[in-house]
Amino acid sequence: MPYEWDIKISEAPAQSGALLYGKGARPSARLHIWPYRSLPRRSFASIIAGAFLLLLIPIFPLLGSSLLWGILPFAMGALALLWFFVEKSYRDGEILEELSLWPDRIYLSRTGPGRAFQEWEANPYWVRLTNHAHGGPVPDYLTLKGGGREVEIGAFLSEDERPALYDDLARALTLIKSRRAGP
Amino acid sequence: MADAAIHGHEHEDNRGFFTRWFMSTNHKDIGILYLFVSGLVGFISVSFTVYMRLELMEPGVQYMCLEGARFIADSTAQCTPNGHLWNVLITYHGVLMMFFVVIPALFGGFGNYFMPLQIGAPDMAFPRMNNLSFWLYVTGTALGVASLLAPGGDDQMGSGVGWVLYPPLSTTEGGYSMDLAIFAVHVSGASSILGAINMITTFLNMRAPGMTIFKVPLFAWSIFITAWLILLSLPVLAGAITMLLIDRNFGGTFFDPAGGGDPILYQHILWFFGHPEVYIVVLPGFGLISHVIATFSRKPVFGYLPMVWALIAIGALGFVVWAHHMYTVGMSLSQQSYFMLATMVIAVPTGVKIFSWIATMWGGSIEFKTPMLFAFGFLLLFTVGGVTGVVLSQAGVDRVYHDTYYVVAHFHYTMSMGAAFCIFAGIYFYIGKMSGRQYPEFLGKLHFWMFFIGVNLTFFPQHFLGRQGMPRRYIDYPEAFAHWNQISSYGAFLSFASFLLFIGIIAYTLLAGRRVTENNYWNEYADTLEWTLPCPPPEHTFEILPKQEDWDKGHAH
Repeated sequence: MPYEWDIKISEAPAQSGALLYGKGARPSARLHIWPYRSLPRRSFASIIAGAFLLLLIPIFPLLGSSLLWGILPFAMGALALLWFFVEKSYRDGEILEELSLWPDRIYLSRTGPGRAFQEWEANPYWVRLTNHAHGGPVPDYLTLKGGGREVEIGAFLSEDERPALYDDLARALTLIKSRRAGP
Repeated sequence: MADAAIHGHEHEDNRGFFTRWFMSTNHKDIGILYLFVSGLVGFISVSFTVYMRLELMEPGVQYMCLEGARFIADSTAQCTPNGHLWNVLITYHGVLMMFFVVIPALFGGFGNYFMPLQIGAPDMAFPRMNNLSFWLYVTGTALGVASLLAPGGDDQMGSGVGWVLYPPLSTTEGGYSMDLAIFAVHVSGASSILGAINMITTFLNMRAPGMTIFKVPLFAWSIFITAWLILLSLPVLAGAITMLLIDRNFGGTFFDPAGGGDPILYQHILWFFGHPEVYIVVLPGFGLISHVIATFSRKPVFGYLPMVWALIAIGALGFVVWAHHMYTVGMSLSQQSYFMLATMVIAVPTGVKIFSWIATMWGGSIEFKTPMLFAFGFLLLFTVGGVTGVVLSQAGVDRVYHDTYYVVAHFHYTMSMGAAFCIFAGIYFYIGKMSGRQYPEFLGKLHFWMFFIGVNLTFFPQHFLGRQGMPRRYIDYPEAFAHWNQISSYGAFLSFASFLLFIGIIAYTLLAGRRVTENNYWNEYADTLEWTLPCPPPEHTFEILPKQEDWDKGHAH
């Protein structure tokens, strides 16, 4: 599941005042969202190891022959290319959206791909979460409106994850608003 | 933060012709480009064979004369046999077919077009590198053709050293044609390696959610295995021909005994690449055939998992059998025994595949549309080629058959018929999907029968010629071989006629074929993801990842 509540809102103490961002509290809830990749890192290691071993098949019989130096650079070059490009495909898909919630602040940051970085913040009291079932770039396109801007969230998630995320977010927003009471 | 884009998602394709076809980064467009260019190169390469068969039709040399190559025999004019021209033609037929026709068509063309679609990826992992691969391939082809026309050995054009480029023949060939040929192979190798890495990354990292590795359709699997074979074997070839280049131009002695080198070692590393190469040629075809047979038998593929493991096993075994191409170079008895046994073991996974295809058809409701006819032809003829392969794998028997027409017949049954039938099956199967227009069924069937009869007429008699002891790679032969050579030539002309018919069919289909309106114009057993898309698919596909129920049909595996 490429999204995860780091800090669940239900874990936060129901007490209010001390939770405010303005008072330096940690977020009451934090959400991580990232795009789906079908190759786990562990398998990446075995792929490279396997490729290395297979590339050694023609290298081994050539040990001690000058031909080794003709083949070796190409074989290891191919391995390096494979490594580089699979890594690059991870990097290209490395988008991390991070949403932190306080009773008095909502903060969303988006890192990647590459060095791209964007952020948005608003007061949760005024934030409106919308699910554009149609008309968006994807069905069930989720947006947050507040602080004078409307931003997307989790647009790269799969089709069944976005409605689930909507429910989660709606609940979290309601709860966080309810914790504003107090001094 | 990414601002919301609620209304800004227009989707029409507004690229111009030049942008679309020359600067394309779209895997579907690049696939089509690959198919067209390989078709063009295929035509060049096939026309060489027709000229060669014309020359071989009768004993003596009538057409390839030093006085000038002719197309009409003239017994009154003098004709000195031009062996160099003959050698050049067999060399470039081999080089073009191996590097620039079959791999680009199956791996580059169908692989690019359908592998990402079958795994539900929006495009290849590196679309711009894909474009680079294609244009490197075109560059390689251009270099190959340039090499054909550049000054070569015997003070004539082109190099006549055979596609394997054995030294010392290749290191002593005059002119710079040989160097251009080496560059051509280098460039096409670079193209294939980049393409292979792209395919591997796409397959590994961009599968649709829920599509675990043993749920991937068989064609995508075959492309994945092929990509591995390319990645592991082509660097070896690149190293080998780089050393040839050094030997030729910089006084190296890698393969020259005078300086401590060893020409036999070149054969070893060439065939270490060369044997996987023949599987690179045919494995994507295996994948296509699986889908064709399942669709037209109206049954899911029999034994999905054994089919996948057979692909893996064929790929792996392909790397440890290379020396069966060179039993006669003087290896020890135990070396020969090993390579003989290892070679015969390949018959096991291949048999698994053949019998699984037969079992897929068993009890199915078989429909003989053109793609299925080609798949049937493939099954039959590839098995014939496989059986002669088992014969040739015997080191003792190979002493007799080595470098005879029996070998020519064997590898044309596996590659010319195996791979070419797969390409045609794939084209008829998918042309409606790719172009949005359907081919004329009757002409497709006519093409099949002409091609089927033509190639069998061409190559079956070559078994007899080989058994009679006719050696390969000669422009002329004694009169005793005349009968079967003549029949073989008739077959070649018929095959060529069928190829011309095929070009006509493609032109007719693209310009005036019946429009396809359904997404899946075969039946529900064509159940991979490309059949959920319109024909032709829009420019962008699967930007929204497909849902599992779109591709995970319970009955399939």
